[in-house]
Amino acid sequence: MSTRRLLWLVGIAGVALGVGVSTLLATRHFGDQAGGDVAATLLIGWSFLGTGLFAWASRPNNRIGALMVGVGTSWMVGMLANTDIPLLFSIGVLLSALPYAFVVHLLLAYPSGRLRSVLARRVVMVTYVDVLLGSLLFQAFDANIPDKADAPANVFLIADNPGLSNAILIVVTGIGLALVAMAGVLIARRWRAAPRVQRRGLAPVLWTGCLFLATLALTLVADGLTKSEELEEAFGGFALIFFLAVPYAYLAGLLGLGWSRGQAMGALMGGLNAAQERQSVRDAIADSLDDPRVVVVFKRPERDEWVDAQGQRVELPQGREVTAISRDGEVVGAIVHRPSLSDDPELLQGVADAAALALENERLEAELRARVKELQESRANIIAFGLAERRRLERDLHDGAQQRLVALSLQVNLARAKLEDDPATAARLLDSARDELRQALEELRELARGIHPAILTDQGLGPAVEALAQRSPVPVEVEGVEEATPLPSQVEAVAYFVVAESLTNVAKYASASHATVRVRRMDDHAVVEVSDDGVGGADATRGTGLRGLADRVAALDGQLRIESPTGGGTVVRAYIPCASS
Amino acid sequence: MAVTVLIVDDHPSFRATARLLLEVEGYDVVGEAKDGHEAIAQANLLRPDLVLLDVNLPDMDGFQVASRLTARNGGATPPAVILISSRDPSDFGSLVAASGARGFIPKADLSGDALAALLG
Repeated sequence: MSTRRLLWLVGIAGVALGVGVSTLLATRHFGDQAGGDVAATLLIGWSFLGTGLFAWASRPNNRIGALMVGVGTSWMVGMLANTDIPLLFSIGVLLSALPYAFVVHLLLAYPSGRLRSVLARRVVMVTYVDVLLGSLLFQAFDANIPDKADAPANVFLIADNPGLSNAILIVVTGIGLALVAMAGVLIARRWRAAPRVQRRGLAPVLWTGCLFLATLALTLVADGLTKSEELEEAFGGFALIFFLAVPYAYLAGLLGLGWSRGQAMGALMGGLNAAQERQSVRDAIADSLDDPRVVVVFKRPERDEWVDAQGQRVELPQGREVTAISRDGEVVGAIVHRPSLSDDPELLQGVADAAALALENERLEAELRARVKELQESRANIIAFGLAERRRLERDLHDGAQQRLVALSLQVNLARAKLEDDPATAARLLDSARDELRQALEELRELARGIHPAILTDQGLGPAVEALAQRSPVPVEVEGVEEATPLPSQVEAVAYFVVAESLTNVAKYASASHATVRVRRMDDHAVVEVSDDGVGGADATRGTGLRGLADRVAALDGQLRIESPTGGGTVVRAYIPCASS
Repeated sequence: MAVTVLIVDDHPSFRATARLLLEVEGYDVVGEAKDGHEAIAQANLLRPDLVLLDVNLPDMDGFQVASRLTARNGGATPPAVILISSRDPSDFGSLVAASGARGFIPKADLSGDALAALLG
């Protein structure tokens, strides 16, 4: 059923209920003042009903409208307590306090329709239980309801026990007073937490509600303590007036809210127009929302991350509400604000929409700053990586070829010394020197290949990867390299080292029987993948090889991912952007 | 009596060549060590006259080892320490002089004459 149709049905049912109850009141056979009861039924019942339907229609997702309809309906049903058909009379008595529970619920949920705190939820729940169960128990043990002559029978009576019913009344009233007090405290807190921009909208309902609760409390006290009917009637009369005023206060609140919204939007527009001279857009938003802690963040869609105006990466803060800023249906930023502002989604949306255009410059600036930061980081990484590479080269040269050449030099010295006295030893030393020389040459060749393999420069990635595959002690299958190449030279170099280092790791650690190298183009990326069927368990955070690879890949703005479940083989996959190719 | 020598270097090929060379030159190589801790332990045990000590060791640097070896230890005469390296001596500045070592010989220039010149 559509909301519109539902509201029509509720409205018709509410009008019919009012007419029905009024007819029963007008034709009853006991008591007096039927005219007053009819007026109270219709005035209060239909006021709440009408305002509630209006609120419900204008904000279908907000429960305030439904709660007001609840107040109006239960009020009219409660008025059955003044009719003379025993069952209807008894139901009326049972439900006569329910509208007050609805009002407490409404005041605590105002204006969002949601009960924010656990305490508020508990107060509302206990209020419903108190008014329904309390009335039922009281009715079950009190024969004197109502205390009017010719009143119809109370059908819920189980046994007349004045002592018990009196005790029930005291307990129910006591609980009711405590609940009213707690509701008052919660409303006061709500008021204190509200930003200036909201108070104009909140004031009519919250203050009328507080006056109603205060006079209701006084009525209960007068009834329970003084037993003074005059006092009770006087307070009860005031309570009824404030009760009746609640729906009209709601309408006044809407006007106030609209006025505040207009003020806020005006302040924002003024602030934005003056932004170039004195205020940032953020400050203008903070002023208009009266929330000095407002934070404006920007979305970087391609990275799926948020940055502040300085381009610094930020997480959306917890415990604060976030309102998205959209442009052309795409989220470009967000306003992080205090939770209580969410009570007025229209205001937030208006501010977000107005800010969207003004924020475009700041968003682009933030994007630029973020990009500069990334480039700075990436440049620092490249420099650090270069230094680390040079250190590694120095170490490799020192530990490898240089040691061999030292030994070679010593052996030649020695052989020369022995040449005349002991030619056999001299020949042995020269043989050993030749072996050292051969190994030194091989190590230098390996080192040169590690710096930049000649085959990569001369013949490109395909032959270079084939050469790596042939040198690998583990059988390697190469797929897709020819189709994916040529790539930009720096991409081919990084791709080569990904394959070289990964195949070295396969040979050293994987205990694999087979490995596969795949290279393919995906969008504007080269994807280089080396997989094996070995023992897995590779960890990029340990060992310098994979870390160094990740740095090389990151230096080109790429990403290295490693999947290596224990016992499940290893897949090293590098995504390297190559948009310039 | 031949001068007793402990060779300390982390490269086995250098240790083997240096042993051969020193023995040919008439030195008595009594032991080898591959790092600083092993060098100190072996020196205490073998009491060599000379420790031929590589500057770049995997666990601690040769200057530290030299300082500990040449420190007076309960009245026993400490060994003479000669530092060796495949690097140029200028790479180490004043560290050689401050370490308590008798001197420095580039590895490629190691010979009986070079040792004798430093031992005096």
